[in-house]
Amino acid sequence: MSTSTPAPRQGVTSALHRDQARRLLPWGLGLLALLAALVLQGQLFSGQERTVSTIFMFVALAQAWNLIGGFAGYASFGQVVFFGVGGYFTAVAISHWHFSFWVSLLLSGVVAALFATLIGIPLLRLKGHYFAVATLGVAEGMREIVTNLPDLTGGGAGITVPTVGNNATTAYLGNDGFYLLFLALAAVSVLVGGLVARNKFGYALRAINQDEDAAAAMGINTTRMKVLAFALSGFITGLVGASYAFQQVTIFPQRLFDVDITVLMIIMVVIGGSGTVLGPLLGAVALQFLSEFLRQNFTDLHTFILGGIIVVAVILLPQGAVNYVREARRTKEFSLLANVRRYRL
Amino acid sequence: MSAVPVLETQGLGRRFGGLQAVSDVSFSVPEGQVLGVIGPNGAGKSTFINLVTGHIKPTEGRVLIDGRDLTGARPWVIAKARVARTFQIVKPFRGMSVRENVAVGILYGPQGTNVMSQAIKAADEVLEEVGIAGLGDRLPGELSVADARRLEFAKALALRPRLLLLDEVMAGLRHTEIEPSLELIRNLKARGITIIVVEHVMKAILAVCDQVLVLHQGQILTTGDPREVLADPRVIEAYLGHRYAKRREGDS
Repeated sequence: MSTSTPAPRQGVTSALHRDQARRLLPWGLGLLALLAALVLQGQLFSGQERTVSTIFMFVALAQAWNLIGGFAGYASFGQVVFFGVGGYFTAVAISHWHFSFWVSLLLSGVVAALFATLIGIPLLRLKGHYFAVATLGVAEGMREIVTNLPDLTGGGAGITVPTVGNNATTAYLGNDGFYLLFLALAAVSVLVGGLVARNKFGYALRAINQDEDAAAAMGINTTRMKVLAFALSGFITGLVGASYAFQQVTIFPQRLFDVDITVLMIIMVVIGGSGTVLGPLLGAVALQFLSEFLRQNFTDLHTFILGGIIVVAVILLPQGAVNYVREARRTKEFSLLANVRRYRL
Repeated sequence: MSAVPVLETQGLGRRFGGLQAVSDVSFSVPEGQVLGVIGPNGAGKSTFINLVTGHIKPTEGRVLIDGRDLTGARPWVIAKARVARTFQIVKPFRGMSVRENVAVGILYGPQGTNVMSQAIKAADEVLEEVGIAGLGDRLPGELSVADARRLEFAKALALRPRLLLLDEVMAGLRHTEIEPSLELIRNLKARGITIIVVEHVMKAILAVCDQVLVLHQGQILTTGDPREVLADPRVIEAYLGHRYAKRREGDS
């Protein structure tokens, strides 16, 4: 049986420093990225500013999906429902109830979290495909409900948030304002992801992901933890939906409950590395950036090429880029072919 | 030794549709004892453990832990009552290191802590206890069968249990690998932990059990001293069939 070899005496303090440095490194990098994003803003045209805002938006959405789909392993295929609920709550609150945007924003997060709790309690009893299909059903159903409440939501004709005149409760933020808002949401979501990953809560979610019976036997209240993760995920997604609704001014059920948004979140997390903090961040940035680049250079073939790249990425790195790098560094096995073999065969 | 048994079941039973997997199991384990549970495949041994730990809800009867009625309580409630278990098919958290696997039990167990460094330190102590102190950084998938069983042990011990249910921890182990497990069980017993051992390895049953309970077709066939129970013709018949038992009787 192997036993741990005691570290040489002079190595102890440097090892401690290294340990501390390793722990602080992500925070430092995060702060640096935040500063870079703020500096970048001054260099962008307003069209580019909007594009980058969208990247931030997807960073937040991917991080939120990762909490339930990545850490806890419950792939929610109806995640867009929280986006839609948040967006519609804000639109209705501003135009019907004359709330300020900021109050509506916060309440949208809370409402989306409550909604997640409500549907999570029955749905999180389901596993795998059943959970995926059930959440998908909830999102589709919610779109129909919203479409069929024209007095409240404007129905299929959409609802317009008043941004000018007497009915406007909060002045439109403009490209600069929304850039900062979505940047803040991205930063908060990454922070939440980072805290969950290092926290007791993150251990519980990973344990649930890997073996729910064993997790319960270890004293983890699996039901409560899953619902909490779903609610937290819904909260962030609701905030993002609310901000999106305000940015768009006029919103429609088709767009706010669009299954494509869920699919994008999932692809970003899966390509980047699910269950990690860096994965969804990189996945969202890479995919949005690539998509925008292809749109500008290959107008007709853009979705075709993007789809092809996604397929190749998923085949070569089924566990996501970040997890691949981690494993490769651990095992000193960098071959992509070996990686495919390990996960596919 | 307290008068209240650590575990008592009263008329415990579970029906799956038309199959009565466990029925009318009533017995109690006094504190500090090692109870062996044996029986042929399909006798209801694993179901019985699952009924006690809340992984399966009983359809009849009651489960009392330290005199508290915890019938049908969820597994985490049972774990917090300091009842730990291992699984017949090991269930490590595959994406976590061996050390983190054990830390989960310390974070969420009966004594639950919120301090990560404390949990990691305590996890290392448990790994040392079961003899895999050097493997903390490994992933469970990299362990040998015997070490994977030890990890399963360590995860249960992370809860600092008063009652430990071991579901075939020695299955598939080599002769030489069984002895350390027995030694571990003896040590735990010496520390006053009450243990229920579900096992097919009779050598192990004889070596550590104070009492044996035989399950057959979901019911208690007999209980008593390990040596006497294993010599009981009814037990031999349950395991090896009617004809073998008859032939043996003729021989002696």
